[in-house]
Amino acid sequence: MTTLRVWQVMTLLLVCSLLLSGCGQRQLNELGLVAAVGLDPGKEPGSVRLTAQIVRPADARGQTGAPTGGVGEPIYSVSAEGRTIFEAIRNMARYSTRRVYWAHNYLIVMNEDYAKAGVTDMVDFFTRNHELRMNTWVAVTPDNASEVVSTITGLEVVPGEAIDKLMRFSEIVAEAPRTNIMRLQEMHLTPHTQIVLAKLQLKKRGIPNKSPEKGATLKQLELSGAAVFREDKMEGWLSPKESNAMLLFLQDIKSGVIVQPCPDEENRYITLEVRQQRVQVKPEMKEGEPTFSVSVSTQASMVELGCRASYAELRPSLEKQLADEIKLS
Amino acid sequence: MSLLGDSADIVKRTLEYGKVSGVFYYIEGLADAKKLADFMQLTASIALQNNDMQECANDHCSCRLFANRVGGNLGRTVSEAVNAIVQGDTAVFLEGCCHAILLGTRGWAERAIDEPATEQVVRGPRDGFTESLRTNTGHLRRRIKDPNLRFDRIVIGEKSRTEINVAYIDGTVKEGLVEEVKARLNDIRIDGILESGQIEEMIEDAPLSPFTTIQSTERPDKVAASLLEGRAAVFVDTTPFVLVMPTRFWEQLQASDDYYTKFWMGSFFRLVRFIAFIISLTLPSIYVMLVSFHHEMIPTGLAYTIASGREVIPFPVLMEAILLETAFELIREAGLRMPKPVGQAVSIVGSLIIGQSAVQAGVVSPFLVIVVALTGISSFAVPNYTASFSIRILRFPLLIASGTMGLVGFAGMFFLIVLHALSLRSFGESYLAPATPFHPTDQKDLVFRWPWWAMRKRPVMAQGENRMAKDQMPKPPNKERK
Repeated sequence: MTTLRVWQVMTLLLVCSLLLSGCGQRQLNELGLVAAVGLDPGKEPGSVRLTAQIVRPADARGQTGAPTGGVGEPIYSVSAEGRTIFEAIRNMARYSTRRVYWAHNYLIVMNEDYAKAGVTDMVDFFTRNHELRMNTWVAVTPDNASEVVSTITGLEVVPGEAIDKLMRFSEIVAEAPRTNIMRLQEMHLTPHTQIVLAKLQLKKRGIPNKSPEKGATLKQLELSGAAVFREDKMEGWLSPKESNAMLLFLQDIKSGVIVQPCPDEENRYITLEVRQQRVQVKPEMKEGEPTFSVSVSTQASMVELGCRASYAELRPSLEKQLADEIKLS
Repeated sequence: MSLLGDSADIVKRTLEYGKVSGVFYYIEGLADAKKLADFMQLTASIALQNNDMQECANDHCSCRLFANRVGGNLGRTVSEAVNAIVQGDTAVFLEGCCHAILLGTRGWAERAIDEPATEQVVRGPRDGFTESLRTNTGHLRRRIKDPNLRFDRIVIGEKSRTEINVAYIDGTVKEGLVEEVKARLNDIRIDGILESGQIEEMIEDAPLSPFTTIQSTERPDKVAASLLEGRAAVFVDTTPFVLVMPTRFWEQLQASDDYYTKFWMGSFFRLVRFIAFIISLTLPSIYVMLVSFHHEMIPTGLAYTIASGREVIPFPVLMEAILLETAFELIREAGLRMPKPVGQAVSIVGSLIIGQSAVQAGVVSPFLVIVVALTGISSFAVPNYTASFSIRILRFPLLIASGTMGLVGFAGMFFLIVLHALSLRSFGESYLAPATPFHPTDQKDLVFRWPWWAMRKRPVMAQGENRMAKDQMPKPPNKERK
């Protein structure tokens, strides 16, 4: 009798789990996978306009045999307003047919004005949210964040993916800090550090294939420069050169380019590629004032020589120039 | 001969040799015609000589003399004679002789020795067992000439009276194993044994388990190797499948090739098989679990691809997976059962309908087709058919659990399966040994096959210590062997 009971219970469980499954669980294709999100100040003071770049998988990937019937656009960008970020997201559900899903988000980009109003709320929401990954990139833009988010980029099908790669390979030029939400939170929470975020900007860089004679007319995202904060409010921008110098202290710069004029020759240049750089900072107390002595040792290799003189002749003066250049920055 | 009734295949031939007349009884189809003719000729020549028979005054003596002359045995009772006849011998009843003379005329049509269809090897002997017990035991005797190799006879089956031989090497076999096997065999009361599978189910340790604790094989070299490792084998007449016991889980992932090819190769292939085992057990479950519950665990690019393939699929992924798995099992079963000439139809239907049309029609997603195909291929890479079946059947509870409860269901069901496997014993051996409980010296033949010169010790279960002499690793000639 007891064995019968056990079987009854087990059958019931099995039937239940088969029939009841489906509610609560969502298939991957029933989710709106967010690739990038932009934050702008809303119309009303204190409100936020949130723009999400949602991937349309059918068009983000090529035809896979199944009829997809897409419109050809790899992304679907929508924006919604709310008093808080969460409210804006909930408002998005009025017209987004799929539940917005954050775990695959690549980028959070803020408008300059939004950042100037303070980022505490934003840091809190995106770190508190259980879906969001802590390695999501964070950047600030002088343009509209909604425009940045909904711009189709050239090489990558999904624009969010493009920014992800831009951030990953940014070490070659080393002009913008690679900031993700985890570092942002660190910088925000530590009382002795201030926030520095990468600067994203739309610039006319792309040349349309159909009318190349017009020149670069397509807007493309450019990662260059940095935004500096005091406490949680943005203060201003750093130029690419300034942020390059700042990066010396913040993270390892594996590569960099230094262009120097040739000695005694007009309009001719020699190019050096930085291979390795070691920075040592020693704090000292001098006459009651804290001072820092910074020593930078750089290894560079020459990649382009436009001077008439041979490298051997140039080398001593070049080394001196390089040292000056580093000191200057 | 009323005991045998008026059966159509029983032949009775009466021959008269001068004063002496004799009756031959044999079964057509079991008695070899040529052997019979030789015996008849011999009988005739002896009977016609007659002298010896008359010299021997007493009846018993003449019978025995006659039997000795023709090379037969004396059958003292009727049942003894009948027994001999149904096994293919011929019983001769001579006038003036109160015993039956039994002539060894057994011989019937036999299948030629073939390469086993279920366990093929690239490197290794190509002979396989046949349906004849003596041929099979002969295979083994040819491989192990040690006089300690024993075949103990047991007859099972009220009606079939099937001969069963328990094979083992005395002095090597695990202690107490033969007695246990024989005791279990002797407990069987059944009217007929037609295949060793029946024996297997009647003496198994875990009759309800999907795992098999007794291995069946068609390969004589596999059986010989098992006996050398201290196991016992059960040969059943009329089937090429020989049972080997005790069998632990890992042995079902080992193939004969592993031992005959270079050890790097053997270990690599074995590793591939382990991977195949894991894939065939878990891959569909992992896919279903990720797609319906843990979307964050899929790499982003892959998530787009999967989502794009699933864009138009009307079913939840669990249902889709069960559908496709069922279709795959259907194709497999149909391919096995259908007559060979129409076999092509299955592959056409399988590849075109399931592989292409179903994807194009948007019923199943292309990614799942890959998953199911990979799973199917992997399940065929498991060398033992029974083992691959137990893996295949365990896949479904795992699939349902992970499709309804996600990672929790998957882990829970996997835990249950492992717990169950841990609780199993095969003739006193833990089913998951030597991995757990851990036997350090038996690791040489688990995931990696060590080179032969390093596998010096016998497995723990066998009696006796060493399988080979010390220091057998080949060395250059100028270096002295220790």
